[in-house]
Amino acid sequence: MNASAKGRTRARLEGLAILLVACGYLWEGHNVPDLFQMPGVPGPTTFPYILGIIFALTGLWLLVSPADLFARRQPAVEERAAKPPAPAASLGARLAAQWHFYAMWIAILGYLALMPSVGFPVATFVLLAVFTFLLGEKRWWFVGSLALVVTVVIHLGFGKGLNVRLPLGVLESLLK
Amino acid sequence: MFEHLLNGFAVALQPTNLLIALVGCLVGTLIGVLPGLGPTATLAMLIPLVFSMPPATAMILLTSVYYGSMYGGSTTSILVNIPGESASVITCKDGNQMARQGRAGPALAISAIGSFIAGSFAVLVLTVVGAPVAGYALNFGPPEFFALMVFGLCTVASLTGSDVVKSVVTTCLGLMIATVGIDLVSGAPRYTFGNPFLQDGIDFVVVAIGMFAFTEVVVTAMEVRAGTRAEIIKAERIWLSWEEFKYSLASIFRGTVFGFIVGMLPGAGATLSTFIAYNLEKRICKNPERLGTGDIRGVANPESANNAASGASLVPLLTLGIPGGGATAVMLGALMMLDITPGPLLFEKHGAMVWALIASMYVGNALLLILNWPLVNVFARVMSVPAKYLMPIVLVISTIGVWSLSYSSVDLLLAAGAGLLGYYLRRNKYPIEPLILGLILGGRMEQAYRQALIISKGSNLIFFTKPISLTLLVGAVLFLFLPMLLAKAKQFQAARAVSGEAA
Repeated sequence: MNASAKGRTRARLEGLAILLVACGYLWEGHNVPDLFQMPGVPGPTTFPYILGIIFALTGLWLLVSPADLFARRQPAVEERAAKPPAPAASLGARLAAQWHFYAMWIAILGYLALMPSVGFPVATFVLLAVFTFLLGEKRWWFVGSLALVVTVVIHLGFGKGLNVRLPLGVLESLLK
Repeated sequence: MFEHLLNGFAVALQPTNLLIALVGCLVGTLIGVLPGLGPTATLAMLIPLVFSMPPATAMILLTSVYYGSMYGGSTTSILVNIPGESASVITCKDGNQMARQGRAGPALAISAIGSFIAGSFAVLVLTVVGAPVAGYALNFGPPEFFALMVFGLCTVASLTGSDVVKSVVTTCLGLMIATVGIDLVSGAPRYTFGNPFLQDGIDFVVVAIGMFAFTEVVVTAMEVRAGTRAEIIKAERIWLSWEEFKYSLASIFRGTVFGFIVGMLPGAGATLSTFIAYNLEKRICKNPERLGTGDIRGVANPESANNAASGASLVPLLTLGIPGGGATAVMLGALMMLDITPGPLLFEKHGAMVWALIASMYVGNALLLILNWPLVNVFARVMSVPAKYLMPIVLVISTIGVWSLSYSSVDLLLAAGAGLLGYYLRRNKYPIEPLILGLILGGRMEQAYRQALIISKGSNLIFFTKPISLTLLVGAVLFLFLPMLLAKAKQFQAARAVSGEAA
């Protein structure tokens, strides 16, 4: 599958996803109660219905774009211009090549999910160490020291300096 | 007007506000110098910190950061050939060439001077037209305001991104997210799915930080893994000759005027204004073939345009309540969080704050000229701090920004979701600015729409019978569909020509 065909397939999948979201949004609009609804006064669902319909139309456009229909009438030109596609890499090979990318996102999402319970100091120390390592810093002693110093500075700066309530988490029993 | 401005200076020159303006200019310049973190993300991160400040002080800080980033972006463009922020892309062409020819000093000098002249012009125009435009806008009723917001969203959708349909998708997404929460008119919960945390709606700061800061960190991190260390050229003497200044003056003037005019359009922003002003300059100036080879006009023109545009974007924000781009959209959100509604009544109800803000922009311009001229090599050295140490710190500070809003883990999870969505949108060329704008304007837009329908007893014709509303809606449709139709017509003609040749 060449790049152009992949792009069109992605656009169609996005269109389908948008259409589904729009349908879900419009459906959920039915569950909004009409509280204190007076005649002639637009209710809480008027605006959402308009938005949902426009959103659905954009999804439909991406799904069956007229530009795409036109392009399909010009296959000869595209076939002459297209180079033979490179053999697609396996899923495992692609994951192995991009493992840093996935690891970064896992680190970020883990940090955001766990920071309130684990506590800012521990979560931030781990995140800084992991992220700096993923970005290419290999000296473990430097990574650890930098993470510790930055965590302490930020915790003191924001916690004490700007009075932001940062959770202590697992350290609460130790420090209080 | 003069009396109001003097009172504004009295507030802006208070020691606290002066210090805040200096801090804002420094932070903004650093943000402009460092590629990877733009003014929009920085402003979103600063919002939780400005809650406790008086409104005038808060806005002085945010505006100084915004202005400062425009000055800072040119430093790395000239010395390192990497634009510090998107509006400085064009400056790389001639700026870095000049630096390689040993003329980094004149390049930096003309960049600072052009930015100062353009910034001062923009503030002067804001001073003169701000109150009259706001006064005229007092004639606007709910139908006109609704049409104005539709116009604003349509211009943003057509001017950002490469595909109008994708811009409309993200605009609708932003408006749809804005409907989450308790409906203020009827009290009905909408799209909360029984979750009490969603009853207050989804804070735009959460989405802005997720989509701008978290996404940017990952994008920059991946570039760091793949990139090489850039050479930083040192500038010896930051000065230029009288002949160089006279040679650049016309380009500065044209960049200022065109940058200002385009910058006032909602959605245009500094980046687009710079591109348009530079393209016009290439058509108008003498010896255009010299641009791109180290011509000082190639620095003077875009830098003037981007500073004029950043000042111009505050005109629709303060007078009509319509932001000009992503950064001003965040500033609009900040004003609303400080319980101040920008728009025609801003000059009446919060005149002291507005005039203090305008006065502080004069002060900020002067501060930036003073800071950037002697300290440019210091700022450039900041670039030598590896991004692998800076990006994780940005991530942590962004998280604190989200956490400090309401100390809720739901906000962190929403920011995470926004970050993932923002990365996907950015990767697949869906513009994010319309989403943020839709999220910020959605509530007011719906309110104006419903008020208009109450006035007209449910008839949508009210939007077409009011002249201002009709004009704005026609303008919105033209802005949205005309470029797309013209592009499709060109494609069709080109394809027919190819088919004709093949036959």
